Amino acid sequence: MCPAPKKVSKHYHELRDPVHIFVHFDSDERKVVDSRPLQRLRHIHQLALTYLIYPGATHRRFEHCLGVMELAGRVFDVVTSQDNVTDRIRESLPEIKKPNVLQYWRRVLRMAALCHDVGHLPFSHAAERELLPSNWDHERLTREIIYSPEMQEIWGQLTPPLRADDIVRVALGPAKAKDLKFTVWETILSEIIVGDAFGVDRIDYLLRDSHHAGVAYGKFDHHRLIDTLRILPSPDTEEPALGVEEGGLQSAEALLWARYLIYVQVYLHPVRRIYDIHLRDFLKAWLDKGRFLTNIEAHLRMTDNEVTSALLAAARSKRSAGHDPASRIVKREHFKKLYERNPLDVQENSEAASAIFKAAEQEFGSDNLRFDQYPAKGGGHDFPVLLSDNRIVRSGAASAVLLKVPPIAAEFIFVAPDKRDKAMAWIEMNRKSIITRWEKKNG
Amino acid sequence: MDRFKKAALLTALAENLRKKGSWCGETHLQKATYFLQELQKVPVGFDFILYKHGPFSFELRDALTAMRSDGLFELHQQWPYGPSLIPTQKSRDLRQQYSKTMEKYQKQLNFVADQLGKQNVSELEKLATALYIRMESSSKSENQRAKYLHALKPHVSLDDSLEAIKTVEGIVKRAKSASA
Repeated sequence: MCPAPKKVSKHYHELRDPVHIFVHFDSDERKVVDSRPLQRLRHIHQLALTYLIYPGATHRRFEHCLGVMELAGRVFDVVTSQDNVTDRIRESLPEIKKPNVLQYWRRVLRMAALCHDVGHLPFSHAAERELLPSNWDHERLTREIIYSPEMQEIWGQLTPPLRADDIVRVALGPAKAKDLKFTVWETILSEIIVGDAFGVDRIDYLLRDSHHAGVAYGKFDHHRLIDTLRILPSPDTEEPALGVEEGGLQSAEALLWARYLIYVQVYLHPVRRIYDIHLRDFLKAWLDKGRFLTNIEAHLRMTDNEVTSALLAAARSKRSAGHDPASRIVKREHFKKLYERNPLDVQENSEAASAIFKAAEQEFGSDNLRFDQYPAKGGGHDFPVLLSDNRIVRSGAASAVLLKVPPIAAEFIFVAPDKRDKAMAWIEMNRKSIITRWEKKNG
Repeated sequence: MDRFKKAALLTALAENLRKKGSWCGETHLQKATYFLQELQKVPVGFDFILYKHGPFSFELRDALTAMRSDGLFELHQQWPYGPSLIPTQKSRDLRQQYSKTMEKYQKQLNFVADQLGKQNVSELEKLATALYIRMESSSKSENQRAKYLHALKPHVSLDDSLEAIKTVEGIVKRAKSASA
């Protein structure tokens, strides 16, 4: 009789995922997945309190980070496949020619993708503004965690060992790590994660958020897009950059429209925005000195669970710090939308919303009003496109559609529910005269 | 400087570049603003790092997008180039509001447009990177700076790097004599 075979431990692992079907990783990468900073993300909602408007949107940062890692690996394999790389690019980026070097950077990219959000505060973006000391944001916390002794130990155990500096560069990109110097290769890798046009962070959150919110707005053909991504020389300067084959251009257009639509419909939904403000008001009252702590241990201990528990307690007790905003969230007695930025008023006066807010404050008192601003930002979606006749042109020349995607901007004025009717009547009477009263700049 | 004063200056810079023949895409404005801020010392307050095609400011990129949202710039397709940023009538009204600022910096705006208005994106990348290196390490020789430029931007040959370094030296001298 043969002896029973020894059980071989599994080196490759997969998780079920509603968006990507499977997320794959090996035992080395599992050490990072199992680390405290990553496991904490199981308790951070991806979309803060959006579940109060879209009940299905209860998903967490943890699965988003796994999805970003999965997609980053897929994009890396496509753009570095020898069939997809031209001699010009091989000359400019020698890293592509060396299998060992490629293997190292593939691992760096996937780990950077996995860790890119570990610095998020409870309720993700909702609570970030005003609740950290100056010069701090979640990206800086992410960086501190990647450099922490706990994570350094893991980077050293991987095969090959990874340099924390490389992970930080690729995870944050030049916009959020201005003090670091980037090679062209590192810039491209960081674009795979955080790029404006087709970074996998963006691809994953659009698909995942639309899936969980139950809306169709964030969906697009990401399979086609990823298959057609290429590293291309920029048409004007020859500098290598992430671009797309002509056949994937419509998928890139669809991504950018999907982003526009989900912002307008979900992320900038006015009720979601006012819940963010009430949550911020609660946290300012509840947290010691109105700020989150920035040391790693304190950060790792603080999740949505701690905040939610405190929020529910504060809503029950009138004497608790932050009772009023907590109660507004729990009882759904949030402030109501009084005014929203719109193209007609902006054409008249770029500062229409803030002018109306100032006038309304004088009329109704600042306690009864809240002002919310999401300024337009980001790039003009400029990337190289490889045409079927082998010419390379700028995306703005190849696509008329891209130029039509409007910048995303929102401004809201909210008013206490009991003042709403009076405020609506007041704004109807005074809106025109306030926004046409141009402040003389004289500067 | 508040954001509308900056917006007035940026639209004026775009107008001046276009008058000199530039098709004025975002890259032109990025590099021209870098020269305006670092060489001409107009305090627009953007933070530039070495990135796409040389010095680049993410804050300036955001500001240009916000200006489109405010109706101060429009994007126009410019085959075979990328999109042009065209200042609108509303931007002209804004500049009138800031007539003192416009007057104060008119000379500097003209100087930058004169030097860069006819340059294409490839030339702008080299010149702006050469100025960036000069600001960072002015004590180095021209050859050393050319080698550094070539190392930072390997797609720019050493000869072209040296030529860009020398051209920027000329621009710096003209700027000094213009301000004397």
